[in-house]
Amino acid sequence: MSFAHPFVLALTLLAVAALLWGLRALDRRRSADALAYSNLAFLEAAAATRVPWPAIVAGVWALAAACFGVALAGPHLVAPVAVRDGAVALCIDTSGSMSATDVQPTRADAALRAVRAFIDSVPDGTRISIVAFSSSAAVIMPASDDKDAVRDALARIPAPNGGTAIGDALDVAARSLPPVRHRAIVLVTDGVNNAGSDPLEVAPQIGATGTTIDTVGIGTSGSGLLIPGTSEEADLDESALRAVAEAGHGAYARVGDADALARRLSDIARSTTVEPRRIDASFPLAIAGGTIMIVATFGAFGLGRFP
Amino acid sequence: MNGLRAAIVRGARRTRRRGDGVHAPRSGDGYEFVQLRGYEEGDDPRRIDWAATARVGSLQTRVFLEETSLVLAAFIDESASMRVGRKRRLTDAADDALRAWFGAAESEDRTLRIVDDRIVNGTRPALHARAARPFDLRRTLTFAAHVLPVGASLLAVLDGFDLPAEESPSAGPVDELLLAVAARCDATVLLARDPWYDGLPLRGLRRVRDAESGRSRLLYFGRRARERFVAAVAEREKRLTARFRNAGWRVGALDETDGRASLDRAFGLIGALDFAPAGA
Repeated sequence: MSFAHPFVLALTLLAVAALLWGLRALDRRRSADALAYSNLAFLEAAAATRVPWPAIVAGVWALAAACFGVALAGPHLVAPVAVRDGAVALCIDTSGSMSATDVQPTRADAALRAVRAFIDSVPDGTRISIVAFSSSAAVIMPASDDKDAVRDALARIPAPNGGTAIGDALDVAARSLPPVRHRAIVLVTDGVNNAGSDPLEVAPQIGATGTTIDTVGIGTSGSGLLIPGTSEEADLDESALRAVAEAGHGAYARVGDADALARRLSDIARSTTVEPRRIDASFPLAIAGGTIMIVATFGAFGLGRFP
Repeated sequence: MNGLRAAIVRGARRTRRRGDGVHAPRSGDGYEFVQLRGYEEGDDPRRIDWAATARVGSLQTRVFLEETSLVLAAFIDESASMRVGRKRRLTDAADDALRAWFGAAESEDRTLRIVDDRIVNGTRPALHARAARPFDLRRTLTFAAHVLPVGASLLAVLDGFDLPAEESPSAGPVDELLLAVAARCDATVLLARDPWYDGLPLRGLRRVRDAESGRSRLLYFGRRARERFVAAVAEREKRLTARFRNAGWRVGALDETDGRASLDRAFGLIGALDFAPAGA
């Protein structure tokens, strides 16, 4: 939090402290007019209430005064704000290794479930496109803010088959994004790039346009599946995925089960569709102070503090 | 002889417990016949009027005027805790009671007041004496137990706030002093009734000051707090009364509006106040 007029804050807080001190002194001076009772300890023990009302009233007044003081100082917050007009491209790996069952029920089904969670989590108004890729990449759903249409499009994702063209997928995803200010690509894959363009060359170009790339590696090592046409085991090229994410100013994460994948995509949905924004908190604080002041005043009337 | 004096004389003559509850007649009964009355436990059997007993059908005792003069002693709690009240201070009511007490004295009687650790003799000096030190019940009782003549009639007016709680370790010695004084004198105590015994006039957040120390606190008085206060005052009065009665004292309530009437009530001359507050 920063303040436009920090000296006003200091002065106001000093003024509030002086006011409270003055009120306290006045209250003490009034003790001469207070009802004299033979034995205050007996009265306290007999009629004491467990709720510290005097402290609560003083605390509420102090809070209201502090709200006004801070509001006068022009506070500014940098807070994550949901981007209503953002666009996200989901790149889903449909290579043959996605049929592996090390992630229950299969990597492909877990990915679909996670994509649904992603769609549920993004703010309304965010445009989502779906890109499926194996040996080549294709747009399954062009960018749309109609979440139902995007969910329906998931049915058109092909069954696992073929190689892994991560570079092509990134390129197609970048082209599917509309020219809006906030763009992001989320890549979900379980393999090593073995077809099409080199993702390590494509990613920096995309990153340079301001598009964020988040990568998620799915699957456990030693699934037993081979890369089609080779005798190599299907395993993640984590260093490449990490490098892609870095080039796209995003993050890489590896998940080993369906729930973790769904959680990760939900997190990405929230983080990639928000942006830090500087907010002037003066008005809300002044409103809060006023509300608290009204509540405190009525509360004080109720407690017999006034007139 | 005024009614109060007669009551004091009767009280001075009454038999009292000694030690483990054995009743013993007081010495000093006179020979001037006053009245016949029903036999009371502890009366000297030699005083039973058998002829009257035969006529009435129940034991009758002859009462004689005590020929020895009275010693009317008194002490008052003059501490700040007694200088409170609704319309007038409790100390003013205590002064009323004191004037009535010493006003019952006749020429042959002796009046004395315990102030601090000294005896002030004579009605006028006793009425106008003022304590120079804070009231200390234990010290005053100790002094009374040692210096008051045996058979004296003692009036004490206090609020009982400096009486140690029954569960306190210091309660035992004070209770023993109460017993000792009651064994030596015909002791009467007027317990200052809390001016707000029937309800605190406070609502909501109010500052209350301790009359003794001057310390003040901001307290919240809700409906339940006021109800708890009334119940606590009634309970305190009940316990104080029982404590003094168990020690052999005659107990009355000092009402701030009329100390004289409070004294009369203590001696049963007028109807007693309902000691338990209304609604308690």
